[in-house]
Amino acid sequence: MVSLLQACGVVKRVGRGRASSEVLAGVDLDVQEGELVAVLGRSGSGKSTLLHLLGGLDRPDAGSITLAGQSLLGCSQRELTRIRLRRIGFVFQSFQLIEEMSGEENVLLPAGLPGAPPGGALRARNLIEELGVGAVASHLPHELSGGEQQRFAIARALVNEPALVLADEPTGNLDSVAARDLLAILRGLTAAGRSVIMVTHERDVAGAADRVLEMVDGRLR
Amino acid sequence: MLATAAVVGYGLHTGFQRSARGADLPNVIARFDRQPLSRVAPRIEALPDLAAFAFRLEVTNVDLIGGAHRSREGVVEVLSPGRRGFDLLAGRELSVRPGEAIVEQGVARSWGLRLGSRLLLDGLGALRVVGIAESPDNVAFPLAAPRIYLSRPALDARFGVERDPQVNVAELWLKDPRQLDQVLGQARASSYGLRGLRVITRDGVRVLLDQAAGIVIALLVALSAIALLTAAVMLGASARAEVERRLAGIGVRRAIGAGRAHIALTHAVEAAIVSIPAGGLGVGVGYLVARGPSDRLLEAINELPPGVGLLAPLAGCWALTALIPVLASGWPALRASRRPPIALMRGAELGGRRGGRSLLGRVRLGGNLVGLAALGARLVSARRVRLLATLAVLGVSVGFILLMLALASELNTLQSDPGSLGKRYQLTASLPAAAVPQVRRLSGIAAVAPRYEVQALDSFSLGETIDLIGYPGDHTIFEAPPLVSGHRLGSDSGAEVGRGLAQVLGLRPGSTVAVELPSGHEARFRVAGIVDSLQHDGRVVYVSSRALLASEPSAQEQLAVRLSAGASPVAVTRRLAALGAKPKATGGATDRGRSLIAALTAILRAVAIVDGLVCIYALIQALFLTARERRSTIAVLRACGADAGAVRVLLGGAAVAAVAPAALIGVLLERFVLGPAMARLAIGYASLELSAGSGEIAAVLAGLAVLAAAAVLWVARQAGREPIVVALS
Amino acid sequence: MSSERDPGAEASLTRREALVKITSGGTALLLASCGMSPRRAPAANGSTLLSSYVDPGGVGVLEIGDGIPLLDRQELAPRALPGVVLCTIAHLTDVHVLDEQSPARVPFLRRLGAPFNSTFRPQEAFTAHVLAGAVRAIGRLAPNAVIQGGDLIDNAQGNELELALELLRGGPVDPASGGRGYVGVQVASNPDPLYYRPDLDAPRHPGILAASTRRFTSTPLSVPWHPVLGDHDILVQGVLAPSKITREIALGTRAIWDLPAHLRIPGELTDAAITAASSSPDGLAAPAVVGQLIQAASKAPAVTVPADPARRELDVAEVLARLRATSGSGGAGERMDYSFDVGSNVRVIVLDLVRREGGSGGLVHGEQRRWLAHELARAGRRWRLLASHQPLTSSEGGEALLALLDRDPRVLAAIWGHTHRNRIIPRPTRAGGYWLIATCSLIDYPQELRALRVRETAGGGAALETWMIDHVPDGEIGDVSRELSYLDSQGGRPQAFQGGRLDRNVRLFKAAPSGD
Repeated sequence: MVSLLQACGVVKRVGRGRASSEVLAGVDLDVQEGELVAVLGRSGSGKSTLLHLLGGLDRPDAGSITLAGQSLLGCSQRELTRIRLRRIGFVFQSFQLIEEMSGEENVLLPAGLPGAPPGGALRARNLIEELGVGAVASHLPHELSGGEQQRFAIARALVNEPALVLADEPTGNLDSVAARDLLAILRGLTAAGRSVIMVTHERDVAGAADRVLEMVDGRLR
Repeated sequence: MLATAAVVGYGLHTGFQRSARGADLPNVIARFDRQPLSRVAPRIEALPDLAAFAFRLEVTNVDLIGGAHRSREGVVEVLSPGRRGFDLLAGRELSVRPGEAIVEQGVARSWGLRLGSRLLLDGLGALRVVGIAESPDNVAFPLAAPRIYLSRPALDARFGVERDPQVNVAELWLKDPRQLDQVLGQARASSYGLRGLRVITRDGVRVLLDQAAGIVIALLVALSAIALLTAAVMLGASARAEVERRLAGIGVRRAIGAGRAHIALTHAVEAAIVSIPAGGLGVGVGYLVARGPSDRLLEAINELPPGVGLLAPLAGCWALTALIPVLASGWPALRASRRPPIALMRGAELGGRRGGRSLLGRVRLGGNLVGLAALGARLVSARRVRLLATLAVLGVSVGFILLMLALASELNTLQSDPGSLGKRYQLTASLPAAAVPQVRRLSGIAAVAPRYEVQALDSFSLGETIDLIGYPGDHTIFEAPPLVSGHRLGSDSGAEVGRGLAQVLGLRPGSTVAVELPSGHEARFRVAGIVDSLQHDGRVVYVSSRALLASEPSAQEQLAVRLSAGASPVAVTRRLAALGAKPKATGGATDRGRSLIAALTAILRAVAIVDGLVCIYALIQALFLTARERRSTIAVLRACGADAGAVRVLLGGAAVAAVAPAALIGVLLERFVLGPAMARLAIGYASLELSAGSGEIAAVLAGLAVLAAAAVLWVARQAGREPIVVALS
Repeated sequence: MSSERDPGAEASLTRREALVKITSGGTALLLASCGMSPRRAPAANGSTLLSSYVDPGGVGVLEIGDGIPLLDRQELAPRALPGVVLCTIAHLTDVHVLDEQSPARVPFLRRLGAPFNSTFRPQEAFTAHVLAGAVRAIGRLAPNAVIQGGDLIDNAQGNELELALELLRGGPVDPASGGRGYVGVQVASNPDPLYYRPDLDAPRHPGILAASTRRFTSTPLSVPWHPVLGDHDILVQGVLAPSKITREIALGTRAIWDLPAHLRIPGELTDAAITAASSSPDGLAAPAVVGQLIQAASKAPAVTVPADPARRELDVAEVLARLRATSGSGGAGERMDYSFDVGSNVRVIVLDLVRREGGSGGLVHGEQRRWLAHELARAGRRWRLLASHQPLTSSEGGEALLALLDRDPRVLAAIWGHTHRNRIIPRPTRAGGYWLIATCSLIDYPQELRALRVRETAGGGAALETWMIDHVPDGEIGDVSRELSYLDSQGGRPQAFQGGRLDRNVRLFKAAPSGD
């Protein structure tokens, strides 16, 4: 198993001066390819923060993060953006679909950005079909159910074939049926060789993962 | 902008009255060929309704030297004791000692004369400046000839007392100005033997000055009105957009039990807190920008700047600019708070439906860069009301700027000597009437007709020569001085008479004008209408050419050539020359006209600059607000891997969505609404083509594009600086 | 007023009253500020004792003002209590009833200024109406007699005389001449700006010229009237004896409206000395020169106007006959020298000073001195009033007549017109002195006639009360005539024809004749 993502001693502080506190107090993590990892923690424990750092959406105050051999620390904004475009797919808790665009257009969004790998349209189509939302592809987000929206969000995250998928509370806004379906999808992603890191506060959701790490006091256990 | 327009508009509009009052301008100024005082005084004394009268001797074409400056066209006014028709700005009255002079302020300014400066007058020697005066009975030097005032006792001291001094100007002050017509009638009836009689009343002086700056006054007053409207639109739109932005907040407050009036009041007060100082600042800036050029313009036409009088209109502007946002915040807040709080908290648009694909139809969003841009456009158009407000603001501003550019270029091409205002033909060709069909066939020519002119005398020897002008058919195609009363000459026996002539001869629509022609014949015409023409001091008569030729077959004949819009005068001139005509352009350029034009252009430029600032503001505001509201969208894009360039494309699309329709609106507005409205206002003075040319449009659009690009870059940078994480939540 | 009012009601009443007062006061204020304060009406009989026409602001517009009370003048005798009224006489002079459309006129000369001011007047078309108004005023004054002081007509024309006499007789009057409508220098289509054209020029009165030619009915003068002969009654334009040329022109169709080109005005005509000598607004005393003027003018371009045979210029005998016939007075003989009694205590002696051969100044004829002496002797203890047209003081030979009057202690006053000015001058003599009274005209401003009332005073003296009377219009034409005469810059206003305070409404005292 090849290690895809390593994090060493990642520290993230919030606030300033005397009011600052360490959300992450030195996190170590190692994720292999094709692994589904769950990070379990209470709300406010810093798990979302960790996800953001791993996804290059924010910079740690200390520590290092390496993705597929490339350290994220020395990267400029441009490079980070590039990495986010091609190597990472983010699935947000609140889906963060763009309201003005249909589900399909949302999926196509990353594929149309400059620097995206070609063939995105076909991939998008396939993903939509695979995820079973082909029938409602032209609907606007507010016309879709929570589960359908989540699938489009996943499709969007996958359209550029990233190696790493980061999911923030993916079942947070879903009912139990949809949640089960979603976990199955996530499992399926790892079969294709992708790594998935999932952040959740529900123990039974975390149970579907290959590995469960607990976030306690700003560290992973 | 409002303040700018107010300063200029108020100054110009009330300038004459201020000056006339300050200078104690006489109600009637009568000029005539020199007469001994003993012959004129009894006739004047016998007139009814006289409060006071004074005589002057006006000597023209005097050689004046002031320091390094010299003029051979100096006018010396020898004042007899009595009331004055000018205002002393500095210094004192003339005493009986010789060697003193008062100079008109235009001369003092241009020649750098101060109290105590020396003047050399040909024939009188050295004079000392003891006072500087301003008289609104004529425009100032250099628009008019330089004027100085001397006292008769001083001349008497030098040349010896003249027993019966010669005079050629009588100034009359009336007790009751409403009796003016009666006084003029009596003056005319007892004026026999006074040759070269020209009578001008205070209203007439006003007309003279208005025509000298006529276009400008009318246009600027109209510009002020448009500026006010634009300002109201802009302020109202901005305030409304603010309320929109805070709909969620309104919802929350409603949810916790705040009353509607309270919310509206809160918004109003908040708006006031900003608008009052902001308005004050804006008004102050506008005032400072406009004051210089406006004062210069007023000086040029010998009117006093409003000074303290501006406080009232400026305070009014301030109140207005402070009030409009207050109203525009309070009223929509009041209306919005009517809706259920939940809807507000969800961020529903003010009075608009969210979603829907309407604006951009079938364009595939997000598929590629074009799609990104389309998304950006979609984002900004989701806020329908705000988009419309932004379009309105930008559109009107663009229209405004185009209008001012068109005006400036039109003024430059006019370059006139106000005497040629009212002329609508650009060239004359010395060809006989038979050549008309030939000339008409040339390209670039809209109309051509023979024009006959002859110098006549009035049959009762009251004045100097009259210009008798004849056209076949409708003369207003070529010359259309504004109609003061009556109607255009309809038939062969009708005539349009200039106001100056009408006043001297007591003509009215329906009366008869009798002129003596060089051939010895007398021709009589029925006055159809009175026109305002400055040609030859208003001593013109327009008649049909048939009537003119019947009495004077040897009248001077020329072809008046009117060019079609957009035709090149140079090219047409060449074509005419090829026919053997000796084409000449009408409307001479005089040095004097230029300084007035320069002052006017400065004002226009100032207003345009202020307007440009407004444009930038509106653009940035629209983009900024869009970016702020859709932070999460932009953050998602960035999270998905959109780089800075992609964000710029997104915002660029938004900018285009705002700017492109606005530019179109602006161009159309200028061409079909503002331009014609303005031209119609000034129609009396000149026929203005106020559609902005393609060059100007291109320049404005380019400027707009540059502004938009700058705004996009700036807003994108601001958006990019924000950490994605923060933006997402 | 009852004092037992319910206090509550009183309170509410007063509140209502206050409200009413406020609103009415406010309305009155509003109306007054709109210039609609109740307009003063002129006195119904035109007497300036009750109301007069004034221009307080000097703006050229006449309005009704206060009456002018009589002022005592004691230059000849101290004040004495006025007693019984002996008689009331109206002095109506210089009416100048005009045929403005006649070709025998020279309106174009007016622009040359003095002495031609009387050749045209802006109000000249309205003389008939002004006379009608004067007759109305006289009727309300109800004097014992009227002295018509000369210049009843303007141009020695038959139709003018007929019109004037018709007006005095009363009944239907036709002021038109030469056919219906107005064809004269004041038409709108006349481009000459030196004539006032009511249709066009300010103050505009469209249609008034046409209205002035319409027939109307005049009230008769029901008081006996006595004519005095004036220069304009028998001389063309008051200066020229009718000749073949003038008669032809009068009956012809060629009228001259424009100043003939190259017209040379002989220097004598404008000589100030001459104009001063005859002291009249139409003071042309050199008929021969005027004749030359007419010769030159007759060759000038003319306007065609309708002819009218009624314009025939009358000779002296005809004029005298008609005047005598209509008035029932006027003496007999070649000259209009006669006398008449008004009541039993006043005798008026009328003198005819008009030159038959031309020239407007007065001339005393050889016989007149003797005749006057005879009349004075024969008048007994009556008070004497002397009436003539031209002033004795400026007439040729007048000093002799004045010397006669100076010696008579019972001469009250010598009354004349001709100068168109109001002027009252005391003439002190050893015999007690008498007053020289000049009355203004009805054609020039102030367009007034004079009332004279003789009263006995204690101690045997007399008080001669005199005041001016404005003509009383029926319709607007009379007022327009007054308005135009006031505006006229070559008329009575700038020359102060109306006189001063001492020349108008005064009480003139005359001492009792001593040694009687």
